[in-house]
Amino acid sequence: MKVTIKNWVGVATWKWVANDDNCGICRMPFDGCCPDCKLPGDDCPLVWGQCSHCFHMHCIVKWLQSQQVNQQCPMCRQEWKFNNK
Amino acid sequence: MSLKIDYNDSWNLIKKVFPILDESSSKQQEASENEFYKTLSVIENLNLAEIIKTMILTRVEREIRESYVPKFWSYFVKVENYEEGFFKFSKAINFIHDCFMQYGSLFLKLKILNKKLLPESNIYGNEDPVDALRLLFRATLLSQLPIEHKDIIENFYIIALSEENNRDIADFFNLSQQSENNYNLIFSETNRKLNKLDLLEPLVGQVLTSLIYTTIENHVQKTCKDSFDSSYLTTLETWLETVIIPWLQTIYCSEYASVNEEAVKRFQRKLLNFLYETYAKVRINQLFNIIIEFPESLPALEDLRLCLQKTDLRSVLIEKLQKSMETRLLHPGVSTPDILTAYVASIRSMRVLDPSGLLLETVTQPVHQYLRSRDDTVRCVVSSLTEEDPNDLAEELVRGNAVHVDENALSDEDAENWTKWMPDPVEADPNKSSNIRRSSDIISMLVSVYGSKELFVNEYRTLLADRLLSQFSCDTEKEIRYLELLKLRFGDSQLHYCEVMLKDVADSKRIKTHIAQIPEYSENFNMSAMILSAQFWPALKDEKLEVHPKIKEQMALYTKGFEALKGSRTLAWKNHLGVVDVEIDLPDRKLNLSVTPVHVTIIMHFEDKKEWALDELSRVMQVPPTILRRKMGFWQSYGLIEEVKPDLFCLIEEIENSVSKAASEIVEDYESESAMASAQDQRKEELQTFWSYITGMLMNLDSLPLERIHQMLKMFAFQGPTIECSLQELRHFLDAKVREHELVYSGGLYKLPKSDILT
Ligand SMILES: [Zn+2]
Ligand SMILES: [Zn+2]
Ligand SMILES: [Zn+2]
Repeated sequence: MKVTIKNWVGVATWKWVANDDNCGICRMPFDGCCPDCKLPGDDCPLVWGQCSHCFHMHCIVKWLQSQQVNQQCPMCRQEWKFNNK
Repeated sequence: MSLKIDYNDSWNLIKKVFPILDESSSKQQEASENEFYKTLSVIENLNLAEIIKTMILTRVEREIRESYVPKFWSYFVKVENYEEGFFKFSKAINFIHDCFMQYGSLFLKLKILNKKLLPESNIYGNEDPVDALRLLFRATLLSQLPIEHKDIIENFYIIALSEENNRDIADFFNLSQQSENNYNLIFSETNRKLNKLDLLEPLVGQVLTSLIYTTIENHVQKTCKDSFDSSYLTTLETWLETVIIPWLQTIYCSEYASVNEEAVKRFQRKLLNFLYETYAKVRINQLFNIIIEFPESLPALEDLRLCLQKTDLRSVLIEKLQKSMETRLLHPGVSTPDILTAYVASIRSMRVLDPSGLLLETVTQPVHQYLRSRDDTVRCVVSSLTEEDPNDLAEELVRGNAVHVDENALSDEDAENWTKWMPDPVEADPNKSSNIRRSSDIISMLVSVYGSKELFVNEYRTLLADRLLSQFSCDTEKEIRYLELLKLRFGDSQLHYCEVMLKDVADSKRIKTHIAQIPEYSENFNMSAMILSAQFWPALKDEKLEVHPKIKEQMALYTKGFEALKGSRTLAWKNHLGVVDVEIDLPDRKLNLSVTPVHVTIIMHFEDKKEWALDELSRVMQVPPTILRRKMGFWQSYGLIEEVKPDLFCLIEEIENSVSKAASEIVEDYESESAMASAQDQRKEELQTFWSYITGMLMNLDSLPLERIHQMLKMFAFQGPTIECSLQELRHFLDAKVREHELVYSGGLYKLPKSDILT
C-alpha cells in the first residue's frame, strides 16, 4: 500500500515570540491588539526595547509621548531604546 | 220625543245597532244610520256610554280570545315541507285579517260614540278605537303563542328569501318557475296584511332576524371558505345592500307603513354590523392558516383589520390565535425552523392587523416563551440568517434597520411623527412604553427572546467558525458581504471578532501563495494552514494528536516559511484539525479520499508497519485508545484494516485476503464534529482545574463515592466566587475520566488505576 498526501490543509494559530503573554502597558494579550486597534498582527505589531521588554508598538509610542523628561521603559525604568533586531 | 223611556225598546235598539251585544243568535237586519243616531241619543240620555263601550270591548275581547286566536294558531302545526308551511302561514294571516276587518263597521260606530259621548276617554291608551282593536289582536295573539310557531313563519320567509337570494336554493326546495309569480303575489299580500295589523315586528321580527343572520352566515362561509388571496369585504357589503336590504324593504315598506323606512335603516345597520362580525369570526377561525400563507393571504388580513375596527373581537382573536398556536405550533412535533417560519409569518401578519404592535406582543408572547425553552433556537435563527437560500429571516435582515439598543430613548423619527400618534389600545400593558413596541422589528424581537445581542452574536461566531474550518474552500466574499449586513444591525463592536476571523482566512490564502513560491519550504506535497488569530476565534477543541513524522517535518517547514514572512511570530499547529486529500494505492484498487488528520495519520502508520496493537498506536499517536478505536472504524469500513485479535489491528491490502467481509459493516459514526469546544467541553476544562484535588484525595483515601468527592471539593476547592459544580456535572466529568482510563469505577466507588499510584 502506498499513501500519497495530495493536499493538506491544517489549522494553526499564530503567536508572537515574546517572553510574556500580555502587554505590560495595556494588559491586553499580545496576540490580540492594543485598545486602539481592531486588527491584530501586522496592523498592531510588537516592538522590543534594548532592555528586552516588549510592548504593542502603539502602546509604547503613546507612553513615550506622555513622558516629558526621560524616555524610559515602563517596566524596568531603563532608558528606552528600540531594538531593531 | 216622549219623556217616558221604554227601556226594553231602547235595549233592543242598542242591540240592533251593536249586534255584538245580542246574545241570541237571531239574525237581525242591519241598523240604519238613522237608528244609529237615535241610539246614540238614547245612550246619552241614559248616561250609558261608558257601560256600552265596556260591554262591547269585553265581548270583542272574548270573541278574539276564545275563537279567532285559537283558530289562527291552529294553522301553526307541523308541516311536511316548506311549501306547505308557506301556504299555511299566508292562510293564517288571511284569516286573522278577515277577522280584523269584520269589526270594521262596529268600530266605526264605536269611534263615533266615543268621540260624541266620551270625548275625554280613550281605549287602552288609544284615541282611535281601531288602534285599540289592533292592540287587542296583537296582545291576544302573543298571549297564546304556541312553541312551534317559528317553524311556519320561517318556512314562509325562507322560500321568499331563497327566491331573492339564489335560484339554486329555490331549486333545492323544488319550487317550480311558474309558481313563482304566485308566490310573489301571496308573499306581498301577506306582508301587507301583517303591516296593516301592525303584527309584522311582534310576530315575525325575531324569526326574520335570525333567518337573515343564518343567511348571512351561510353566505359568508360559502364566499370566503379557504380562500385568503382576495378581499371579500366589498363584495359582501354589496351583497347585503343589493340582495338582503331590498328584500327587507318589500316586507316592511308596504303602502301602510312608510314610516318603516326608518325601521329598515335600523335593521340595515344591525345587519351590517352582523356581517362584519360574522366575516371577522370566519377569518379569526382561519387565522393560523392565513398567517402560514402570508403574504399571499394579505387580502384576507386587510379585510380582518377593517372588520376589527368595526367590531369588538380583539380579545376573541387573541384567545383563538393563541390556542391554535398552542395546538399546531408549540409542541415537540414541530421542528424549530418551522416554528421560526411561522413566527416570522405571524409577526408580519400582526403588523398588518394592528400597526400599534400590541396584538403582536400579546399573540407572540407564548411563542417567545416556547422558543426560549428550545436549545437549538439561536442556532436555527443564526443559520437561517446565514443560509444560502433566501428565506424570511434573511430578508428581514437585509431590509431592517439597527436593533434598538437604548429602548427608552425617544428617537428623532418619533418626534417628527408626533402628528400620527395614536393612543395604545385598552389592553396595553402600561409597564411598556408604546415606543418600544412600535420600534420592534422581527430580528430584534427574536434577539429579545434571549435578552442579549451577545448571545446571538456569539452563536453566529461559532457557526461562522464552524463553516470556515469545515469547508476550507469557503466563499469568503459572500461571508464578508453578509457580515456587513449583520454589522449594520448589531453594531461594529459586536461583530468585530468575526471580521478578524474572515481576515484570517484571507491572510492564510496570501501566506500560502507566498510560501508556495519558495521551493525550500514546499517539498513533497501541498501543505498549507488556516492561520487563526486565537484571541478572536471561539475556543477550539483541544484534542491531542501526534502526526506522522513526515507530516511533522512538513509542518515545521511551513512554520519556518511563516516565521520568515512575519517577523517575531510563529505558528502553533492544531494537529487534529484540518482536511487532507489522500490517495491510497492498493494492489487491486486506488482510493481518493478527503479525510481528517487523525485518519490520515492512522493509515500512514499502517503504511510503515502492517500490524499495530491498539495500545502501541495509541502511544505513538497520543490518542486515547477508545477514541483511536473509533477512528480506525473508518478504515475498517473500507476493508483496509481488520482487528485480527482483540486490540490487534492489521492492514489488509487485498480484499480477497480479507478474513471477514463483515468488517465492512463497522462504520464509524462519522459525526460531522464541530471544531469548536461545546459548552460541555468548556465545563470539563473548568473542572480540570480540580483534577489535582481529586487525584490527591484518591491517593490519600484510596477510593471514594461520588457524593464524598463532591462534598470535599465543596469544602476545599470551590471556595470564593469560582465555579459551582453540580453532582451531575461532576459525575459526567469523572465518568469521562473513567473512559480515558485515568480513573477506575467499581462498586460505586472511584479510585485511581494501579499504575498511576506506582509512578
Ligand atoms: Zn499594549
Ligand atoms: Zn495597536
Ligand atoms: Zn524594560
